[in-house]
Amino acid sequence: MLPLVSLTLFLPLVGAVLILCLPKPATRTVHVIAIITAALTLIGALSMWFQGASGAGFSQVEELQWIPAIGAAYRVGVDGISLPLVLLSAVLFLVAVIYTSSLRERPRAYIALVLLLETASIGTFTALDGILFYVFFEVSLVSMYFMIAGWGHEDRQRAALMFFIYTLLGSLPLLLAILGLYLGSPEPTFDMRAWIENPPLEGAAAMWALVAMLITFAVKIPAVPLHTWLPAAHVQAPTVGSVILAGVMLKFGTYGLVRFALQMTPDAFREAGVVVLVLGVVSALYGAFAALAQSDLKRLVAYTSVNHMGYVIVGVAVAAITLDPSVRTVALDGAVLQMFSHGLVTGALFLLVGMIQDRAHTREMGELGGLLKTVPMLGWTFVLAAFASLGLPGLAHFPAEFQIFLATLSASPAAVVVILGIAIIAGTFLKALRETFLGEPRQRWQSMPDLSAREWLAVGPLLVLTVGTGVAPSWVLGIIHRTTSALAL
Amino acid sequence: MARDLALLIPEIAVLLTAVGALIAEMLRRPQIALLVAVSGLIVATGLTVSLIGEDTTVFGGSFRVDDLSVWAKLILLPATILAIFLARVDVRGTVREGTVYSLLCFATIGALVLAGAGDTMFLVLGTLLTGLATFALVAYPDTDPATEAAMKFFVFASVTGAIMIFGLSYWFGAAGSTLLADLPGMDTMPMAVLLGFVAVVVGLGYKASLVPFHFWAPDAYEGGPLSIAAYLSVVPKIGALFALAQVVRDLPPESGWTAIIAGLAVLTMTYGYLAALVQDNVVRLLAYSSIAQSGYFLLGILAVGASELALPSIILFAAAYAAMNLGAFAVAANIGRTLNDFDGLGRSQPLIGIAMVIFLLSLVGIPPLAGFVGKFLLFAAAIDVQYTWVAVVAIINSVLSLAVYLRLVVPMYRQGNVVVARTDIWLKAVLIIALTVTLLLGVFAQVFVGPFA
Repeated sequence: MLPLVSLTLFLPLVGAVLILCLPKPATRTVHVIAIITAALTLIGALSMWFQGASGAGFSQVEELQWIPAIGAAYRVGVDGISLPLVLLSAVLFLVAVIYTSSLRERPRAYIALVLLLETASIGTFTALDGILFYVFFEVSLVSMYFMIAGWGHEDRQRAALMFFIYTLLGSLPLLLAILGLYLGSPEPTFDMRAWIENPPLEGAAAMWALVAMLITFAVKIPAVPLHTWLPAAHVQAPTVGSVILAGVMLKFGTYGLVRFALQMTPDAFREAGVVVLVLGVVSALYGAFAALAQSDLKRLVAYTSVNHMGYVIVGVAVAAITLDPSVRTVALDGAVLQMFSHGLVTGALFLLVGMIQDRAHTREMGELGGLLKTVPMLGWTFVLAAFASLGLPGLAHFPAEFQIFLATLSASPAAVVVILGIAIIAGTFLKALRETFLGEPRQRWQSMPDLSAREWLAVGPLLVLTVGTGVAPSWVLGIIHRTTSALAL
Repeated sequence: MARDLALLIPEIAVLLTAVGALIAEMLRRPQIALLVAVSGLIVATGLTVSLIGEDTTVFGGSFRVDDLSVWAKLILLPATILAIFLARVDVRGTVREGTVYSLLCFATIGALVLAGAGDTMFLVLGTLLTGLATFALVAYPDTDPATEAAMKFFVFASVTGAIMIFGLSYWFGAAGSTLLADLPGMDTMPMAVLLGFVAVVVGLGYKASLVPFHFWAPDAYEGGPLSIAAYLSVVPKIGALFALAQVVRDLPPESGWTAIIAGLAVLTMTYGYLAALVQDNVVRLLAYSSIAQSGYFLLGILAVGASELALPSIILFAAAYAAMNLGAFAVAANIGRTLNDFDGLGRSQPLIGIAMVIFLLSLVGIPPLAGFVGKFLLFAAAIDVQYTWVAVVAIINSVLSLAVYLRLVVPMYRQGNVVVARTDIWLKAVLIIALTVTLLLGVFAQVFVGPFA
């Protein structure tokens, strides 16, 4: 029996080390190794996917002694909540390294950072040990910091610094919560399965732990009012950095919200559920309005992420509040599917914005215009991704958001006001499409080339999956549902 | 008697090494002095390994052979070897090269005496022994700044040492014995306990550069040779902190000593990083950073006697700290003393750049590096004894420390001047050893934590 999870997890790291060890490799070699590594990782993730996950608890668990004296071990495994996210990460990192294969500026260090980040991301989703989870969670920060600081745009140093300090400050409360859970366990252990099975804290201690976790995850998600690092980081980050930041790293927050907050302090979460629900609603609406006000295409997409992640928070909060197991299942199904869909759609959007910027060297919508005629393929792909993002039926976000709203309606009808967000996001994207793609083509952009083969390879798979998930969501939902319906809270 | 001496074999080996190095120096054979010092310390380390897990005392309880003192040897002896490598680069070819190696060995004996102290007199002996050897080391270059730094260091040491001895006289009067193990007998005299404790904290706190007894540290680090700064920031400091842990093990818990330690921890961490934030001199920045790091040790000391995590956390962090701090100083020895020297380092010397980033991130406590594992256990120990607020302050300080260390990292990746690194084999050896420990300590943490559970 192959240790599939560990193989998939450490393959990118091996690739990164290989690239660093080669003496003066050609740029081409670096990119080829990167693509092969990411492809192999995707194969690993797919085999994990086909192994599947049983209903309750975790499957494909791999365990290795680490520090038995304090009950810490190397433990990894998956369930229906983490499996889609692992697959999503593997897909996004593959398209990211394909997209980045045109990079000429210090490709070796850049690719090594991307691959290190892939290990950190898959590790965060598969870790079943408190310390291990925290380790991967933080390693992702470091590699993202260096990606933004080294390869970002004009004001990258400041943005990278802000990102690092902000999110480090944000993630340290989680460390306290993990320590609290550890010290509260009857038999001191960092085994997350034990914490889920038997939530170790209760009463005020559980509430404090929950507050600490909420701070951490709200920064990561990001939820209003702790979102201010996001637009700065996104605008300055290189395209691939944005794709991974939005597509994968924001999910650390929502995944943690389910895995830690909901599963390890369920009673406290139920008590505080309304507060979290309000947080989600405010986040979703604020994100939508803020997106509407942007003139910079990349900032706009960044703010729609705040909106979409707000829906996930709403879904998880509803799952915590409701007493009806069937409603809870629907809410969680929606929330997890929303994470998956958001990764695909926003990943595609950031790639497309990056392609526009590569060509026009601007992201200001006012300066663009008429691109649909100049670069029709790029234009229409963007239209498709934008429609997916605004929740058009038949595309990835629709089944997810539909389930979230359905559950919200039966659990706390007042919160359905969040549905307004859809309308605002629709307005935002229609405005963006009009300014950027419609109208008469401008003289300035006449010579703009359309999508190249490399760009097709990068954005194509995401769009196929977006349509596939929208038309037949059951291929993902099936695996999610098996776990969420067996979830005992 | 024979049993007692057998348990002290590592200390005796270090003493013989120091004497051997001195004799070689008297014969004007500095190369041999170096060889004797390094091989003697390696032998002493090897001799210590068989003592792991021992928990006993020798000479009527006055010296302890327990986890703290055994691990002190396993950490400080290799750290001294690395410091000797660094010193070799600084003093090669100078007039009394061999004395430096010999003095480093003597100072290390002092630190080991402190770490195993079971008697108040050993506290005095240990501080004097490390002190006398290190004053001379700081003054070694015979330049004005070095002499001034050594003078400051010396005056500070005399005053704090005198205060400590004065306070210890209270303990002797109250307990009727100089043994630390007899301290619990004073529980009827809380004032005497507290007075003595404050005095001990002054004496050991100076050695460990806790705020407010830290003033000598940045000057001494900057004035003396860099290798001596690296040594001072690791060996005597860890010795003094382990001694503090030995003292509080036997203090009556109701005397309120934990409040004093908690206050000092908060003060030391916060002041250390705030002061580091405004330094332009890399050595001073690292000096203040090492002051702040002492504050983290205090989190573990807070929990001594009440939490099983206390001793493992202190020991593990000591090992991590020794590696990452020596590593950072070794890079500074390679590159230069001001922030400007680091401009563009990451681009022109990628390997040294990566190493420095790893040392600094480890000092912040970013996983999976050594510093994280140590700090993680220290936080756990503090929370375990209900000092959650100190852990919270420590965590906030970790964020502050990120700002401090990024001040070094950011210029490293700027387009800058081409940095020429010294290509000394000794510096390289230190870098590689420190880097390996910093990277892998987390994976093998069980080795340090194992015997306790």
